[in-house]
Amino acid sequence: MHEMGIAQSVIEIVETQTSAHQGARVQVIGMRIGPFAGVDEASLTFCFDCLVAGTRLKSARLRIEQAERDELDVTFIEMEVP
Amino acid sequence: MSRIATEVVGQKVLKENDRIALALRAKFQKQNILCLNLISSPGSGKTLLLESTLASLPAGDRVAVLTGDIQTDNDARRLARAGFPVKQITTAGACHLDARMVETALQGWNLKDIELLLIENVGNLVCPTSYDLGEAAKIVILSVTEGDDKPLKYPGIFYKADLMVLSKIDLAPHVPFDRTAAIANARSIHPDIEVLEVSALTGEGMEAWHRWLEQRRTARQSASA
Repeated sequence: MHEMGIAQSVIEIVETQTSAHQGARVQVIGMRIGPFAGVDEASLTFCFDCLVAGTRLKSARLRIEQAERDELDVTFIEMEVP
Repeated sequence: MSRIATEVVGQKVLKENDRIALALRAKFQKQNILCLNLISSPGSGKTLLLESTLASLPAGDRVAVLTGDIQTDNDARRLARAGFPVKQITTAGACHLDARMVETALQGWNLKDIELLLIENVGNLVCPTSYDLGEAAKIVILSVTEGDDKPLKYPGIFYKADLMVLSKIDLAPHVPFDRTAAIANARSIHPDIEVLEVSALTGEGMEAWHRWLEQRRTARQSASA
């Protein structure tokens, strides 16, 4: 089930991007996924939710936008900063 | 008082795989290696196609094979009988090969000894599509015992592959597979996809496949000349 690997990669991107905001609470992770990316949204969301449970990113939720072809991108991160 | 901050990211999820794949592609180009990534469902005849191909190549030809499976080295042992260097990548669970696995598997081989690198991916029509291995082309193999609507059901790989090989055509008279429909379906996803029809078992169509390989190998050599 490679959505687990994809979810892990998404988490790594978010952790790198938010490393400068340690106190921040990530709420939304924007993604664009195309029909030829070979990634199932429901599986990805399930895997992501499993992986972030109990971690710093536990409040984060994926917001997935339909994209073209094989796009598979993290587009933005919305976080609450103190 | 807290506020919401939005950070624009715009980053490909598979950036790390792509980074390694790009480095592999550059290495292959520098060493004049034609690398082909063979993708299909389990059981569509990838290994037999490769066995037959390797058997037709002259001894001393600079060919090497990487074959991926979740478990066992059965395929590597079959392919090694032809006498060319073969390595098994056992993923122990991953449903696809990724660039890092290929990079690791190539360690210990002198790339100067290789001119054609054939990669047999894990049997899976979905996941391998996403993972660039640094190859020059993806080849999708579809057997006549599968549905002729496979290209519509699994558009990703048919979109990305340069070539569709319809395999096991010796069985065509015994199955309802509609080859015209299969080709039309593939072309509806990818209008320029090339198509070859073969039986690795009987040899039918294999000459055209060997010619396709030869043409690609020659083109790679002259591109660097």
